[in-house]
This record gives sequence, C-alpha cells and structure tokens, in this order.
Amino acid sequence: MSATHDSTIPSTPLAAGVPADALLARLAERFQAVRDPLDRWDLTVLVAREQMRDCLRFLRDEPDLRFDMLLDVSGVDYLAFPGHRGARFAVQYPLKSTAFRHRIRVKVMVDENDCTVPSVHDLWKIADWSERETWDQYGIVFAGHPNLKRLLNHHEFSGHPLRKDYPCQKRQKLSVNDPMDDQLEARLVARGYTVVERGDRDLGTGAITHSAAVTPGATP
Amino acid sequence: MTFRNPPAPPKVPELNLGEAFVTTRLDAVVNWARRNSLWPYPFGTACCAIEFMGVVSSQFDISRFGAELVRFSPRQADLMIIAGTITYKMAPVLRRTYEQMCEPKWVIAAGACATSGGFYDCYCTVPGMDEVIPVDIYIAGCPPRPEAYLEAILQLQTKIGNEAIRETQVIGREAVNA
Repeated sequence: MSATHDSTIPSTPLAAGVPADALLARLAERFQAVRDPLDRWDLTVLVAREQMRDCLRFLRDEPDLRFDMLLDVSGVDYLAFPGHRGARFAVQYPLKSTAFRHRIRVKVMVDENDCTVPSVHDLWKIADWSERETWDQYGIVFAGHPNLKRLLNHHEFSGHPLRKDYPCQKRQKLSVNDPMDDQLEARLVARGYTVVERGDRDLGTGAITHSAAVTPGATP
Repeated sequence: MTFRNPPAPPKVPELNLGEAFVTTRLDAVVNWARRNSLWPYPFGTACCAIEFMGVVSSQFDISRFGAELVRFSPRQADLMIIAGTITYKMAPVLRRTYEQMCEPKWVIAAGACATSGGFYDCYCTVPGMDEVIPVDIYIAGCPPRPEAYLEAILQLQTKIGNEAIRETQVIGREAVNA
C-alpha cells in the first residue's frame, strides 16, 4: 500500500468516522471478508458467494454503516488478466451511504463452470435491471431473479458480448422487433388497467409489434 | 397612312393562348413540386439530431429550401433523415418506420454513424444504414455541420429533379430483405 493511500473512508460528521480498517475487521470476523489487493484506491472487500447476501444485507442495515444505495452490479472477466489465478469472473456491488456518504465495494469471485450468484433484487430494487444487464453481457446467472432476460442486447442475440472471448466485432442481426410489452402490461395491470386487445402483428412473423391497448380500470 | 396587317394566327392552336399556358414535361412539373416541398421525418438517435435542430432553426433555416415542415409521423413525411447511431436492436424499428412512409420517399443518412457505424466498430451497432433501408444521400461529419445538411438537401433536390415518375420503384419488404 502506498503512502498516499488514506485508509479512512470519506465520511461526514454524522458518520462519526468509521475507519476502513475497523470496518474491514468487522467484515472479516462476520463474513471472512478480505481486502481486494487489486483495488489500490478504494475499499473493496472480497466475500465468498455463500456469505455475499448476508454481507450486503449487513452493510445495508447496520445503523452506523447504512450503505443504503446500490450503485451498480457489474461483472468482470479476468480471462488473460496478467497474474490472475482462480475464478474467471467477478461480480461487484459498489455501495454508497446516502446518510454518511461513504462507499464500499463488495466483490464476489465466480467460477466459469458454476456461473451463478444469488440475486439481491429484493434488497435493492435497482438490482433487478443491473443484474439483467450483467447476465446479458457476461452470462453470469443471478439465482432467484424474477425475470432474468436480456436488457441491452436483443432477444435473438447469442453469447455474451463483454466476455473476453467474444469476438467484439461479431455482429448479430435482429429480424423481429423486440417488444417489452410483457413488462409494460404487467405494470399497467398493476395500476388497474385492463388489457383489451394486443395491437397489430408483424405480417411476416406474427410477432406482436405494438403495445397492447388498455383501458383504465378502478383507480388504484 | 399604312396599316400593317396583324400576323396570321399560327397553325398550332395552343400558341393562340399567349402566355396563359406553359407547356412542359410532366416529370419536370411533378419533380419540381416534390423537390421543393420535402417533408422531413427526423429519425434522431444521437448528436446529429441536435445538429439538425440548428438546421431547422432560424440561423440556418431549412425552410429556404422548402423542407421545413418537420413531421414526427412517418405517414406524413417523404424524407427520412437518420441522424444518429442505429443499433441492431433498433434496426427493425427503423425498417418498419421506413415502410410506413408513403411513396415516393427518400432517405438521408446524416453523420458518421448512420453512414458507416462511425467509430462504433462493435457487436451492437449497424455499420451503415444501407444495411437496413436504401439511402439516397450520405452526409459526412461527426456530427455534420448544418451547412452539410443543407448541401444534402440541395443534392437530393437535384436527384429528385432527374427522376422520372414512371420509373419510380416501389421498394417493399422483399427488396429491403434482399
């Protein structure tokens, strides 16, 4: 660790200063977390997959930590990373506390042959789409996710383009529009609308290309 | 006093009408009307569309060339201006929008992305709109200057002026998919 590295988490007076070393010690005791040596600037802890959900919930709910904001769920592919041994993939959860304004990153290594991580969509709502994106781009399965389908790439896409072994210029055409009616309908129905008719269909394929027509029901 | 006889009426009856009528070719009249009243439909997905706003506004003023009536329904437009990056996920939407435009219709691909994919040489970006729909005029630039848009309108007007209406081809789904 270089001398310029300040090991305290930036914090407001509200936070009464939770030093990184103290936090790391708590996480090490409860979840066998270790500091990620690759992260030389911020605090990143490595947690085993089995402990990951408990660790994230602890960070979110602990009164003096309150990492209440999940900033992202991102994948990492360490294929051909210099000096890297062990599991090929990693999933990172950067967290921020809106109350104390401190940050931490939780990282889980994921093996290629068992490419699964428990979903945290029930802890943070935003994890829903973030996990879909990570699955789409890296092929990491989030077990327990309610609707794990592609978010950025289209439904005819095969493979996961941000994997290092995906040929990055390999293009894949989409023949039929990729409607998101399933989610739209679900949200409208939840708000009291009734689906009257599903709009016109593509002449060639019969796929629905327009949103459904809805009528407002009882005010929710 | 001497009086000069009025000239004998010409044998061709139309010539009696003086300047009340102008005779011309049908192509010339139709093309004149078409090229000077283009109704653009901006398919704007990126920064080129921001540039297009300047083209329409008073500083550069696309209405000097009769193409100011920007419509946001493809059914009311005959000039599609693709201004921005198109991904493969977007491509069927673009094609369907193009198919909804009435004949005759023209397409301008504006900027690096619409003409060639630009610097997005990757798995998700269509490398040029002519993979999806036929394009009449390509504009270089990232994004193009408003003058380049106007130059494209002028070039398109020249192109329309040379069209023969009997040769206008209907470009349907089969042609697009070929």
